[in-house]
Amino acid sequence: MLKHLVEQMAKALVDNPDKVRVSEIEGEQTSVIELKVAKEDLGKVIGRQGRTARAMRTILSAASTKLNKRAVLEIIE
Amino acid sequence: MWKPACEANRFVLPFFFGSGGGQKEDEAMSSLEIEEKSIEDAIRVACETLKLPREMLDIEIISRGSSGIFGIVGAKKAKIRVRPKKTSPEVLLERAKAILEEILRYVKLPVVVDGELREDHVYLNIISNGSGLLIGKKGQVLDSLQYLVSRILSKQVGQNISVVVDTENYRSRREESLRELAQKLREKVKKTGKPITTGLMNTSERRIIHLALKDDPDVRTKSKGEGTMKRIIVYPIKQDKVKSKRTGQ
Repeated sequence: MLKHLVEQMAKALVDNPDKVRVSEIEGEQTSVIELKVAKEDLGKVIGRQGRTARAMRTILSAASTKLNKRAVLEIIE
Repeated sequence: MWKPACEANRFVLPFFFGSGGGQKEDEAMSSLEIEEKSIEDAIRVACETLKLPREMLDIEIISRGSSGIFGIVGAKKAKIRVRPKKTSPEVLLERAKAILEEILRYVKLPVVVDGELREDHVYLNIISNGSGLLIGKKGQVLDSLQYLVSRILSKQVGQNISVVVDTENYRSRREESLRELAQKLREKVKKTGKPITTGLMNTSERRIIHLALKDDPDVRTKSKGEGTMKRIIVYPIKQDKVKSKRTGQ
């Protein structure tokens, strides 16, 4: 669920949606969601001063709250 | 009627718009000229440069070009002029709604997205159960949704579109309380004669404070800090300096 949210947002932001890879490592309480994008799209998911990444993290947190979970978004280079 | 937003924060495709205000709509959307061996090549380059599919572009053929004799002598390049197609306001509204609905699908809340076109932005209103989850601390969740929808929509249509995402009248309530804050700050600065610094605020919040005190002869305001979140300092103006505020010095 949370993984798909990240995937959806990332795919809409990048130029190469087919190169978006998202994996979820589920822990007891905390899930780590790893996002990989094409090298040239890295800036698109991070944004100026990390603004886009921050926005995705905030939305992810809100979505996970409702599931009584915690989720961390990691952008992998 | 539909004007693209010229906000400094938006940088998806900055070369589309001149930074100066007061430009006409047609001039604001600058076109691009491309020269390639063939029309097909030129269109391909245009799509790659503007990162838009062919159907989103207005293509004007300036010169068809010719391959010359044996492709060497007298070869003329094909030249085209392209610009992103203007998207009708109705389509923008539909797309904006679809983008927001798609994101909210993953948040387990009963939501309905309503929207309307406003003078210079697309306004989206989320109708939900009022849990405040979609607003978040200091409106952070709402601001994040707004920022992402605007980025995605701007990317899809190839022009910068300003989007406001609201729920439970949060935006107007926030504006009201910021105006009240501005008046309180004004009174305090006037009374003590000392400047006051506010907490961190985003662009639209700062704008409300600046505008609320813009024509006030007793105080002047200034933003301080870096990044999107800044503080505002409200300074007192001594009466003998009132004149300099009017002349803008």
